[in-house]
Amino acid sequence: MTATVEHETHETPHVGTHYRPPQRGILMRPGLIRAAWVAGLFFLLGMYIVVTLRWIAGWDPVYDWELIVLVGGMVTGPIGFLLGLGAFDYWLYWIAGRPTRPEDHSGHGAQTWKDYFRVNTDHKVIGIQYLATTLVFFVVGGMAAMVFRAELAQPGMQFMDTQTFNGLISVHAALMIFLFIIPAFAGLANFAVPLMLGAPDMAFPRLNALSYWLLPIAGIMFVASFLAPGGAFATGWTSYAPLASEQPFGQVFFNMGVQWAGASSILTALNFLVTIITMRAPGMTFWRMPLLVWANFTTSLLVVIATPFIAGSQFFVMFDRVMHTSFFVPDEGGYVLGYQHIFWFYSHPAVYIMMLPGFGIVSEVISTMSRKPIFGYRLMALSLIGILVLGFSVWAHHMFVAGMADWLRVPMMVTTLLIAVPTGIKVFSWLATLWEGKLHLTTPMLWALGFVSMFVIGGLSGIFLGSVPIDIHASDTYFIVAHIHYVLFGGSVFTIFAGIYYWFPKMTGRMYDERLGKLHFWLTFVSFNVTFFPMHWVGLVGMPRRVADYAEEFGNLNLVVSIAAFVLGASVVIFFYNMIVSWARGPIAPPNPWRAMTLEWQVSSPPPIFNFDEIPQVVAGPYEYGVPGARHAVMHGGALQEAKV
Amino acid sequence: MRRGAIVRMVAIGVVVGVAVTLVAVLIPWLPDSASKEMDRITFTYWFATVICIAIFALVAAVILYSVRTFKVQPGDESDGPPIHGHTGLEIVWTVIPAVLVVAIGVVSAVVLAQNGDAGTNPLQVRIVGQQFAWRFEYPDEDDLRSGRELVLPLGRNVELELVSVDVIHSFWVPEMGQKQDLVPGTLQRLVITPTRLGSFPIICTELCGLGHSTMRSLVRVVRPAEFDRWVEETRAGAAGGDSGEGVFASAGCGGCHALEKAGTNAQIGPPLERAELERAAEEAGQPLEQFVEESIVDPNKVIRSNYRRGVMPETYGDTLSQEQIDALVAYLAGAEE
Repeated sequence: MTATVEHETHETPHVGTHYRPPQRGILMRPGLIRAAWVAGLFFLLGMYIVVTLRWIAGWDPVYDWELIVLVGGMVTGPIGFLLGLGAFDYWLYWIAGRPTRPEDHSGHGAQTWKDYFRVNTDHKVIGIQYLATTLVFFVVGGMAAMVFRAELAQPGMQFMDTQTFNGLISVHAALMIFLFIIPAFAGLANFAVPLMLGAPDMAFPRLNALSYWLLPIAGIMFVASFLAPGGAFATGWTSYAPLASEQPFGQVFFNMGVQWAGASSILTALNFLVTIITMRAPGMTFWRMPLLVWANFTTSLLVVIATPFIAGSQFFVMFDRVMHTSFFVPDEGGYVLGYQHIFWFYSHPAVYIMMLPGFGIVSEVISTMSRKPIFGYRLMALSLIGILVLGFSVWAHHMFVAGMADWLRVPMMVTTLLIAVPTGIKVFSWLATLWEGKLHLTTPMLWALGFVSMFVIGGLSGIFLGSVPIDIHASDTYFIVAHIHYVLFGGSVFTIFAGIYYWFPKMTGRMYDERLGKLHFWLTFVSFNVTFFPMHWVGLVGMPRRVADYAEEFGNLNLVVSIAAFVLGASVVIFFYNMIVSWARGPIAPPNPWRAMTLEWQVSSPPPIFNFDEIPQVVAGPYEYGVPGARHAVMHGGALQEAKV
Repeated sequence: MRRGAIVRMVAIGVVVGVAVTLVAVLIPWLPDSASKEMDRITFTYWFATVICIAIFALVAAVILYSVRTFKVQPGDESDGPPIHGHTGLEIVWTVIPAVLVVAIGVVSAVVLAQNGDAGTNPLQVRIVGQQFAWRFEYPDEDDLRSGRELVLPLGRNVELELVSVDVIHSFWVPEMGQKQDLVPGTLQRLVITPTRLGSFPIICTELCGLGHSTMRSLVRVVRPAEFDRWVEETRAGAAGGDSGEGVFASAGCGGCHALEKAGTNAQIGPPLERAELERAAEEAGQPLEQFVEESIVDPNKVIRSNYRRGVMPETYGDTLSQEQIDALVAYLAGAEE
């Protein structure tokens, strides 16, 4: 803490005046142009390593282009990109013993739109960078869905071959999970958490910038896999071995893309943990933290513990292909089910990584918009911890039909069903928070209420899947597709929209258009249900998931689903129109349009460059609505001076 | 809480509950059961459904009631009552869901144990999955093989032994409920007791590559006497040596290739009509029969344009006997009948 504060005060003279770095040539200046040529140079370096080693070993062909693309394009090239961008400049100058230059981490704040394309260490800028980037990949992933829904509108094959179809469903899922939901939450939290804690920034601002810039690398890799010979990775986002190790080269784009996205997640999570533990304002005890902070604390623990497992599983699959290892090759002593155990040991907790931050957002929105304290605050926080712990003991419920040890099924079923208890506590507490409140049905509140109702449906279909005999019938069918979309779209994506609308005034200093926001909600809510609800039925009566072609009898319903999916896609256009036009020309937002109590609303919109001109003194819980004279924090002059001492 | 509020909320809850119950009852959510196992799955399904309808009605009632009743009047900037919690309520909504899910868990565990019990003297059937075809073997009946359909006697316990020769597949008959992945390198097991005559689809439910959506077959449930007759007939057919037609079916060639006389139209691999084969052999500069045999045993040696290398398994030289390969070559490339 002290170190960070000294660092802040050291930079204070720059506040308010746009710091102009000494002019270096355009090629040598940190930025996208330098990133481009350094990435090219590092690609050649990777190519040189591959070719030289193959030449020394006498392997034919010396120019193995798959390996050159793998090493040059997916390992050294991206490192060169980050280097050129300036993500490592400060550290490298420091290591070399040369004077560090403030511009190498670009200072704080963003004066023009160009600053969003640079390495920037301001958590508010990074939060917006995260959100803008993830929304781009949300659109790309959504368009992939539109294309394969067009193919699925009729039985038989119309527009594409099955490899393309399998590629589209795989890229859709990979982008939505790794490049939209997980990092969009990281973006919202990046913006909100330091403000809510009363901190001037994250604990490690330069690490924060690096973790953001790792993300587009992963996204570009997933999308670029369409250019690979043989097409994009086509084994679903689960990418089961041994199919994945014998697929065309596009598969490697998934194996490596996950590494970059995973590294980004882990670094951000470490940053959140340290920030939340060490940078709380005076008086901000753990039991006074807003539930969004609690949610990100537990999510970060999940990320740090679980993410290395998916990294391992993808490396093993890739090694089976490029190095001819036999981790998952049964004829050579490999353990095929081992892949699934390792994969789901991450990917089940990943469901909670994609859910808990949403719980946090919804708690903020419902409490504020109901003008009531959150019901059972401590139990709400403890239930997050309960989900965290139980979440690590349920992974094999994805494998009830996979052929793992029989005895493992009943214990995994019991833990799976028990996770409904802490989740139920949260739902009932939100309902009790609504009770006798003064409900302001603003756009964020509509998304939050939509979330609660859709998530309950997703949770209840989860009860069916938790029961082993029902799961045996329903797994790998469209019932699963329906379930995950009720959880991840009706659940996570609804909360992301709630969060974006809720903090939009704080981020941009302008108000969004309430009418368009409500239109966006209702159009999404209706088309979402028409798209995904019928999938429960087609799944249970016999349509498997991940098929390009299906039985004639499901034709009509799939046509309805496809049409609804296109409406769902179109509803996003309203959202983007609202965001872009409101950011440019919306009415100026007051500091606290929702009259909320948490700290981010006690400063101007957008917040000052180091968040708080004076360090707030937290005196009570964050949701003291209706308590006469109660405040979450007081700002009194001179606090900053005291903190410095 | 005022009494009027409770009455109105219960009313909303009943309306929602009735609506959801109608959706649950009027739509045939599960296929008509064709096995004892599916009967039990159906029972578990309804057990869970009743509980879920109650929970959903409760949540929907509270949300709908709250939105209607507690919606703020324009201009009202006051706060709600500062209720921070209620320990009794919190205990109630922790304990009741826990009891309900444990009940579902107990029912499920019992059903799972029953559905895994093959009883005494089950019929053993071995199911072999490969990209992208199913093969069925009856070890009790002198290793009788069937590539076209799985034939099962009505009412007898069947113990399936499932193996895969390449990647993971999954065996599912929707009407029979049971499902099991076929994992290369391991032996899996599944119990089915057919209770209804008829033909039902066998569907691969684990993404297994290009031809996943066409990896289908049929299970035909017949009376025990008819089953015995089918065994006799098929065995007699097999005793006369493997017919090329039989090998084509049992090796699963139709999973990927179109051939009119075999009634297959898959498009993963090139079509095997005689004219096509002659053209391909000419391009490869080989006599027709030699080219066809080589393409079965070493499929990656010559790849036709628009098709991908490495898709067809290279294992047929090992899994088929020389007689079977000869019969298959004769069937595909021999003199026209």
